[in-house]
Amino acid sequence: MNYTVLVYFLLLALGAIISHKGLISDNFSKKLGPIQNFCLLFLLFTMGVRIGLDKKVISSFFQIGAKATVLAVFSILFSIILVRLVRNMVLRDEGEVNEP
Amino acid sequence: MSLSIILAVVLGIGVGYFLIPDCFFSYTGIITDIGLCLLLFFAGMDIGKQKGVFKDLKKMGFRILLVPLMIIIGSIFGSIVGGFLLKMPINESGAVGAGLGWYTLSSVMLTNYSTELSAIAFLTNVVREIIALIVVPLIARYIGYLECIAPCGATAMDTALPVVSRSTNSQTTIISFVSGVILSLVVPILVSIMIKI
Repeated sequence: MNYTVLVYFLLLALGAIISHKGLISDNFSKKLGPIQNFCLLFLLFTMGVRIGLDKKVISSFFQIGAKATVLAVFSILFSIILVRLVRNMVLRDEGEVNEP
Repeated sequence: MSLSIILAVVLGIGVGYFLIPDCFFSYTGIITDIGLCLLLFFAGMDIGKQKGVFKDLKKMGFRILLVPLMIIIGSIFGSIVGGFLLKMPINESGAVGAGLGWYTLSSVMLTNYSTELSAIAFLTNVVREIIALIVVPLIARYIGYLECIAPCGATAMDTALPVVSRSTNSQTTIISFVSGVILSLVVPILVSIMIKI
């Protein structure tokens, strides 16, 4: 496992443990959403700046969009097929299945 | 929120293209790293608040973990197959697939690796979410309830959950939520691993 993955995992786990154990105040908990949104929008703005600075990406934007669509469709198709393969194992003994 | 996300990216592109000198590019890497660490810490706090997940897991049995597992394998493998057709390197297409629909995080994580790949990851996962919201009711009707969770990926716990809930039953909704939480937990790890392959 490389260093970056470990740092990401530790940060996620640390946040989850602190919150799960109730170590954050209700007041802070309420502010968590807006803080996350601010971090996220700032990061996306920075990502946009990097894209804007890269003239090669800007000139091939529609080509990138076409690639993105192909990748998304294949990801969805294969995940549906694999979930289909395990459905009987997951839903055994469950009585609430009401499907087509 | 969706509009804010698109506005932030478009504004950033405009500022980067018209206002900021090229020498600023190297500094954006450090800014992204610090911001990403903060975001992951707060995302962890958000996940830790979902106390019902472990109760749901125990109640329904750990076999429901097969659903997120299959979504992970299917998304990454599907993306690699799509990338093969587009002549993309396996690590790049796999990392895009490992975003599992969480377009904001996966694109930001890949921005230091390559701006182009970051843009592909963003658009791929945005398209995935849009397709998911459109096809979930159709999958519920013609294929099956459990399969509805697959296209949603990590968004199965938030954005796509109301659509899954409306189109399926309570049992599938719980599995969808648990699956979304687990997928959200593994996205940062999977993207980092896939890009280094």
